[in-house]
Amino acid sequence: MDSQPDEGDARRGAGARVRDTLGLMTSNKESIIGFSIIMVFLVTAVVMEASALLNVQVTPYPANPLPNQASAILLPPSLAHPFGTDNLGRDVFSRILVATPYDFMIGFLVVGTAVIIGGLLGGLAGLRGGLLDEFLMRFTDIFFALPVLLIAMVIGAILGGGILNMSVALMITWWPPYARLARGESLKVAHQNYIEAARLSGQKAHRILIRHVLPNISGTMLIYATLDIGTVILVYSGLTFLGLGNKPPAPDWGQMVAAYNGWLLTDPWLAIIPGLVISMGVIGFSLLGDGVKDTLGIR
Amino acid sequence: MNLFRFLLRRLAFAVFVLFCVLTLTFVLSHLIPGDVIQAWLGKEAEQFPNVAKLYAAKYHLNDPIYVQYFYYVTGMLQGNLGISPSRGFVPVTSVIEQTLPLTLQIVFLAFVLCVVLGLLLGILAARYHDTPIDTLIRIFYLGSYSSPPYFIGIVILVIASLYLRILPTGGAYNPLAVSPSPSITGFPILDALIQGNFAFAENASIHLILPALTLAIVTFGVITRVARSSLLDVMKTDYIRTARSKGLDEGSVFYRHGLPNAAISLITISSLVMTFLLTGAVFVEYLFSYPGMGHYAYTALQGSDYPGIMATVFVFAAIIITTNLVADILYAWADPEIRLG
Repeated sequence: MDSQPDEGDARRGAGARVRDTLGLMTSNKESIIGFSIIMVFLVTAVVMEASALLNVQVTPYPANPLPNQASAILLPPSLAHPFGTDNLGRDVFSRILVATPYDFMIGFLVVGTAVIIGGLLGGLAGLRGGLLDEFLMRFTDIFFALPVLLIAMVIGAILGGGILNMSVALMITWWPPYARLARGESLKVAHQNYIEAARLSGQKAHRILIRHVLPNISGTMLIYATLDIGTVILVYSGLTFLGLGNKPPAPDWGQMVAAYNGWLLTDPWLAIIPGLVISMGVIGFSLLGDGVKDTLGIR
Repeated sequence: MNLFRFLLRRLAFAVFVLFCVLTLTFVLSHLIPGDVIQAWLGKEAEQFPNVAKLYAAKYHLNDPIYVQYFYYVTGMLQGNLGISPSRGFVPVTSVIEQTLPLTLQIVFLAFVLCVVLGLLLGILAARYHDTPIDTLIRIFYLGSYSSPPYFIGIVILVIASLYLRILPTGGAYNPLAVSPSPSITGFPILDALIQGNFAFAENASIHLILPALTLAIVTFGVITRVARSSLLDVMKTDYIRTARSKGLDEGSVFYRHGLPNAAISLITISSLVMTFLLTGAVFVEYLFSYPGMGHYAYTALQGSDYPGIMATVFVFAAIIITTNLVADILYAWADPEIRLG
């Protein structure tokens, strides 16, 4: 990308930045649709998490009903049960709602960690250059070559599944693109006058990195990160499909597809609807990504 | 000379990364909680202390960890990947010998399908930029690459088994109708063709179609997206403006001048495509009960078959790293500026 980072950027008010970001996310038709889809999911996730913490049931039916609360089994979609009921008489719509926070939380968690690790390593490599740069980037190359899903599968097999282990597995493998991005961006600012000035005034490297380099490269990193959350959700849903997510009966979208796979020929909506929900969430991020990249002229 | 040094450096790096993967799987396998012998042999191991002792001696389980690491690496180099509990304690190597060719068959067909589909749609979208055709193609590829492979697989499975019962939805061939030929190359379809067993070749090929189609539909979006955007970029350059100003018609400017220049950017995504295909194979082979290596990875995971998981991850990583290497070399060959890097 060819936008030069300007010195004033870091010092402008938070309000202006939020306005800029919102403007960017609603700059064309694609990004508006994507942004709206993400907002629907995000609000659902927040409401579900809040209701879980307060122990209030906001879904039409309990996600894990006691035997006497369960509805009739394998009901097709209707007004009372928009997505039907499963083999245990549980309302599929309620289960999908309850699973939303997990999938979104892991998206933000993994991408957030990747921004921090990648930003620090890449920022340092770009700022210092030389042998350290070479070493850090070769280190990044190694992790770049690791297939994310497979490494997570090994970790899941050995340490057990669950949202915590899977977040750790994804965090270990997710940061390399961020390190490359941060290095490229920090190379651009490393020779700007204000960095030279900070260096000449005797500031330590880590201080220059945190005070001057990171604020200037954070914009690009955050745009990339926002768009990357969809990919994390996609990979995590794959891991839950393989049985490495939440322990049943706590629902996960991917795990629901896997569990309902057995009713594919008689009640196909059971497996198709959770799959469609995952696709919708990820399409939201893809649309927003394409829209924002179009506006900024990034390919 | 420069190119030769570049190749040598890339090759050394690929070997080094593979070695890192090997070390990672070793370290992880020592994090298995509880008794390793019980984890590998199952709960019954407790009843047979002698077997457990023999097993510990055979796999050097009582030696210090660096000695175990030495045996692990040398064993790997000699092709000893351990035994697979989920497959009745046969050597992992022989499971891989049987399953890898099946997966490579699917991946090869899927690769051809997704390159053809991806390029065709990418070219169409760029040629008819900002028309309904472009919009339709963008919706199609966004939807497909935003979907989990198992979701696409399930949709295709439902359509095929409920509404379109011509194509088989499970297995590598129909054992009631045909029988495989003796192995020469290891690839069942190729073996059957060589030995003139056309009935088997046809039957096995038909069984490939749905799984490969699923993988191709999940993956083609990556190619379409890059093909479309790099074509649009190329069409804005001075070089194209010159071609236009010579009075060439738009069609021949696009296909004769634009297309070859956009091709380079496709090489860079080939390893991404391979990663998509191989990780997708884990889900697709499971859904279509296709007994390849993806299916093996899935069953090994469900059965806590650690050697099986380690080996499949190692082999898949090796394939992806090799693809990376080939892509680097192709890229250096296609774009001389990169050679210096």
